[in-house]
Amino acid sequence: MFGCFEAVLSLCGRSESDNYRLRERIREGDSSIWLQESEDFIMGLSSTATTNEGIQLCIFDLRRGQHEGQELDKILFFFPADLSFSTQLSVIGLSEGLITFTRIFSPDAACEVIEAERHSHVFYQAEPDIWMVMVVEKNKDTEAIWRNDALQRVLKEVHSLFVMFHGSIRALLEKEPGGGVARSHLYSFVMDYLTDFLVAKKLHLPSFRDCLKERGTVQMLTVGREAAIEVQSLVRILESACPGNTACNSLVLFQDLLVSTTLSPDDTVNLFAYAVLRLTPRSLSHGTNSWSYLRKGSTASHVPTGSISDNSGSATEQSYTSHDTSPGRQGQRYHIPRPLQRDKWSKGKDGFLVTETWGAEVGSLIPATPTVWLQQTDERMYLCVFQQKYLTVILLIPVSSIINGEQGISMVKQLVLETASLNIFKVEERLSRGWGGGNAYHVSGYRYLLCDRDRNISRASPPGKVTTLTKDSLLALNKLREEVDVEKSRAKWDDPNHDKDLEICIRARNNAWVIARLTKGKELYMVLEKANETLLYASDAVEKFSNRYCNGTFSLD
Amino acid sequence: MSAKALNSQPGVALGGSGTLSHVYIQHPPLRCTIPGSKGLFYDDGNKLLLSVTSDQVFAWKTVPLTPPDAPSCDSIGEGPVLSVRYSLDAKVLGIQRSNHEIQFKNRETGEALIHRCRLESEIILGFFWIDCPTCDVVIVKTSGLDLFTYEPEVKILRLVETKKLNVCWYVYTHESRMVLLASGMQCKTFTGFQFSSGGIIRLPRFDMAMAQAEVNKKPVLAAEDVHIVTIYGRIYCLQVDRVAMLLHLYRFYRDAVIQQGSLTIYSSKIAVSVVDNVLLVHQVDAKVVILYDMFADSRAPISAPLPLLVRGLPRANASSSRSSINDALHIETNEMSDHEGSVYGEGWIFLVPDLICDFVNGFLWRIHLDLEAIAASNSEVPSILDFLQRRKLETNKAKQLCLAITRAVILERRPVLMVARAMDVLVNCFSHSMKMGGARRTVSGESTSTPTTQHGNNSRTVVDDPMSRVQTHGRSTKHEPATVSGVVSESIHYRTKDVDNESLGLTTFSTIDRSSTLLVSHSEENVNLALQNTSSGEPLQKPLSSEFHDLGTKEGIKSIDAGTSDVEAEQSSSESQLSPSSSRFDSNVSVESQVPSAAISPDEMYCSVFALIEEEMAGDPAYLVAIIVEYLRSAAVEKLKVHPNLYVLTVQLLARSDRYAELGLFVMNKILEPSKEVALQLLESGRQNLPTRKLGMDMLRRLSLHHDYVLLLVQDGYYLEALRYVRKNKVVILKLERLTEAMVNVQVNTIRPSLFLDATISSNDLQHLAAVLRFFSDFIPGFTNTSDHETYYRILNEMNSSVAA
Repeated sequence: MFGCFEAVLSLCGRSESDNYRLRERIREGDSSIWLQESEDFIMGLSSTATTNEGIQLCIFDLRRGQHEGQELDKILFFFPADLSFSTQLSVIGLSEGLITFTRIFSPDAACEVIEAERHSHVFYQAEPDIWMVMVVEKNKDTEAIWRNDALQRVLKEVHSLFVMFHGSIRALLEKEPGGGVARSHLYSFVMDYLTDFLVAKKLHLPSFRDCLKERGTVQMLTVGREAAIEVQSLVRILESACPGNTACNSLVLFQDLLVSTTLSPDDTVNLFAYAVLRLTPRSLSHGTNSWSYLRKGSTASHVPTGSISDNSGSATEQSYTSHDTSPGRQGQRYHIPRPLQRDKWSKGKDGFLVTETWGAEVGSLIPATPTVWLQQTDERMYLCVFQQKYLTVILLIPVSSIINGEQGISMVKQLVLETASLNIFKVEERLSRGWGGGNAYHVSGYRYLLCDRDRNISRASPPGKVTTLTKDSLLALNKLREEVDVEKSRAKWDDPNHDKDLEICIRARNNAWVIARLTKGKELYMVLEKANETLLYASDAVEKFSNRYCNGTFSLD
Repeated sequence: MSAKALNSQPGVALGGSGTLSHVYIQHPPLRCTIPGSKGLFYDDGNKLLLSVTSDQVFAWKTVPLTPPDAPSCDSIGEGPVLSVRYSLDAKVLGIQRSNHEIQFKNRETGEALIHRCRLESEIILGFFWIDCPTCDVVIVKTSGLDLFTYEPEVKILRLVETKKLNVCWYVYTHESRMVLLASGMQCKTFTGFQFSSGGIIRLPRFDMAMAQAEVNKKPVLAAEDVHIVTIYGRIYCLQVDRVAMLLHLYRFYRDAVIQQGSLTIYSSKIAVSVVDNVLLVHQVDAKVVILYDMFADSRAPISAPLPLLVRGLPRANASSSRSSINDALHIETNEMSDHEGSVYGEGWIFLVPDLICDFVNGFLWRIHLDLEAIAASNSEVPSILDFLQRRKLETNKAKQLCLAITRAVILERRPVLMVARAMDVLVNCFSHSMKMGGARRTVSGESTSTPTTQHGNNSRTVVDDPMSRVQTHGRSTKHEPATVSGVVSESIHYRTKDVDNESLGLTTFSTIDRSSTLLVSHSEENVNLALQNTSSGEPLQKPLSSEFHDLGTKEGIKSIDAGTSDVEAEQSSSESQLSPSSSRFDSNVSVESQVPSAAISPDEMYCSVFALIEEEMAGDPAYLVAIIVEYLRSAAVEKLKVHPNLYVLTVQLLARSDRYAELGLFVMNKILEPSKEVALQLLESGRQNLPTRKLGMDMLRRLSLHHDYVLLLVQDGYYLEALRYVRKNKVVILKLERLTEAMVNVQVNTIRPSLFLDATISSNDLQHLAAVLRFFSDFIPGFTNTSDHETYYRILNEMNSSVAA
């Protein structure tokens, strides 16, 4: 039973003595002990693991490793990977204990967060019994002030993207009960994802400075009626170019903004997020991602710890692979697509984006077309991306509708070029003409975030303008949002179908007005730094904003 | 254009040809047979077919062709007749008696005057009446043109102007008001004049292209090889080049004549007709007709060559049955004719623009387009729609065909791009017809961009014509009720009506008709009838004598007419301004002219296309949505409003296929324009999808449909939000109070307090009830004294105590 663990451990470069100690601990198999000592344990760990700034991220399956000595089996992913198994297990053990405990009171929604003195544990149940936990160190001196919901959204995003490309973790585990496939996929995927948070060799998770942003939402381009009709016309033509009567889907982006989608809101969010991370012209040319504007200019770097960089990634990938060979897949190597690997997409001659990260079809040199799973229909789709200057058109074609693989895909692409290229060109031209630049949605005097929860849409002041806010304002808003999050989740439990109306105005320490308004599933957060003394003034300012930019949604009084 | 009565060769028997055709003539034809007829003439200025006997002329209106009326009759006295034409006001009959002499006979008084060439060397080639401000009659001689005014009061023909030219032969159509004068050895050098109501325009001299068969043999161009046609208000000249087997096209501009390509011909004998602005090239030898639509740049025929069909023939053997129908007189006059039923027979003469005269049998046929057949034979949907939309004669049929074709292409699920092009065509045509003035009959929009021979003052013609019509009408009925006739005055109506419509409808100035065509020429008798007296016995007078007198009388007439027929003039002029095409003289085109254009409005597009196919397309909502989007795109480009129900339909279709995300986009981007209908449909469709329902709510709010909005808020349990909304809204209402107290009453009535109170009670929420009650006490003056307050206050207390207990 321990055979496989030993194999893993030895590959990870653990000494025999370490393994022995670990084995002893596992033999004890008493989770209660773990719970008692957990906090100390983590403290100790964090002090030693300075290289990672105290950030840990783990994914584990409560259904696995339920027997004594099999505890390691639970672990599907752990970052940093070079942490000792005992440490990993202790983190996971604590989390598991808390989940089990809180489930007694709240079976449907176990704990969301543990606030310890020096750490926050943010929980996210990605799939039934598959949990993701992020442990972040609190550090009063630094910028380390988070909002739990923002961190949870990071977990949610990486998981959603993972599912989109690889299917659910549970499905992977069921396909290969040894867990090797799931582990290797998760490892490369999450590591690639985390590179985007890398700033100057440190992971920068969303902090209070990002409180005028909402992860897991889509940013849309505002277009006029005629342009919108033209876009829709293009969308219909694209879909009609798809083979047979199958339901194709499409997304149209201009710059980093969504113009049109035919997908469900959740699928839209996922594909939009991926597009902005890896497909849009900006992410193609700069190799940077849009989320962390802070790291603009810094090159994709290799972290000395080796945990995130490509090289070590592949090394660990191999280790997982060999670990996996033991049960029954002797000597069988398989390719793991790494959709989030940086700089792997490029524009082909025909305007379609190509990547080799999905490997090639057996017996050919043509790169395989990536596929994604749609959440809503649970259908696998080919991902075809066409780019015309700043316009990105993502076409999703059901795999089931293409009989002869790559050949069929290239025929569809040809058809798309023939029927729609003129429309694409026209739409791009039209949108370019109306494009107001990166600061198009800046409203002077206001720093705002506008969310439509029904449609997962948000709009915010451009990041460059948000940076002009003082730290005090941002901290106040972060705090306010935290309060609103709590209030919202409480209201949700009371009556999930009844939207809460809420209005909060706070005078921050620096005399800025920090405002939140919620109504009918729409949220408006706002900082007014150069506002007048009176509350009436602030209220008027919101009213004006609402009437002007939100169709009066927020001006009911 | 003359033709000799020859034995007609056996042609294709009528009705014997297959039923496949794009043009047809309707049986029975107009029979114009008069005992003792010496020949048939066509007076294109008045659209009359004239039959001349030894001393009388009979006139049949050709508009409408059916039902045939008894011909009007004028006595002309004995003598040879080379050509005969009524003046445009139908008061004077011009009869060319010889190569040197034309007789003008006043139909009211019977007085006649004779115009004779001054020089013996001159030969009169023909004459025609024009409606130019400066002159009434043009006489074409070998030495040039003489322009006259006819002054009945002093019984003279006054020479206004002479254009000196050598003329071999000429071609004139009243429709174009253009005369082309051929000169030169080959008769291929042309000088053209246009006699518009704006004045006389001289066209630059030009040569027509003639291929040479052999080096030393130069072909001579004959008059029958040159045709003037008017298509979409543009004037073209078609010239047959028998050597090259080409039909050359020349287009006339004000200051240029430009060759615009050539059409291949397949027969050495060619005839040309224009039906509803479609050019019909009859390949007479091949007995087929080829259709061209000159609107498009392409000179490709609309469809394959097909024979001309005779419709409505009795089933029995054509010749026998019909000869029995024919009256004995006809058989007498045309003894040789047993071949009345031959299509493209020898006796056929093609009259401008769309008539066929079978002079052998004395039949007159009008050519019709078979729009269904043309539409059915062409699979290129956008172009056939374009073609149909341009048809003006049978607009209703064209429109119905367009609608049917559009429905068919959608039901057949033809490619979206193709349907989109079809939509573009329909929308553009509608938009264009709107821009051209809605109900008005319109012709191509090209006229504005091209240097046509348009004289800038159509408006003047518009106003003038009814006036002149009234004049003539009033006078002919008043002064001479006994003479020639009601029939003739009717024919005048038709004439004026035509001019009326034409000048209104055609953006260029002209109308369509070949000039008085001599159909049967008699052996030329050079009888010199120098002082021939007509029935009235008036001698010919010198034209110089009465310039002053002429002016005086003209003015006098005008003033008299204005006095006598004021009302009528007013009526007709107002009519002509408002709806010129439906003027009362328009009975002949009645059905079509009530539907002035084949253009399809957005409302019709919804009612006759989308609403009808919706059910059948239920299985494929995505496709129908795609089509609707294309239609919206077309409409948006042309800034047309579409039927609100089309938006409702779109909402239904999207919701039915669970495409709520797209529905959201459609609403947010205002692709579906906000309306109460759309909002209610969103609410309805949003039963399954909360965000969609919210879109509907939001739309109600933004449309300021306060009552519906508040009701919905209350219904959904948002009591306080509803009250807040009411309060906010009331602020607005109170401001308006000073203006309209009634409005306030309505508002107060609309949002009844009991509405909220009942709702809160049913929700069984004590807090809510208290809050609502308090709200009304605070914000409605005097609410505390109402029975409502009392009732609900008691209920609140009861509930309160029960809770406390």
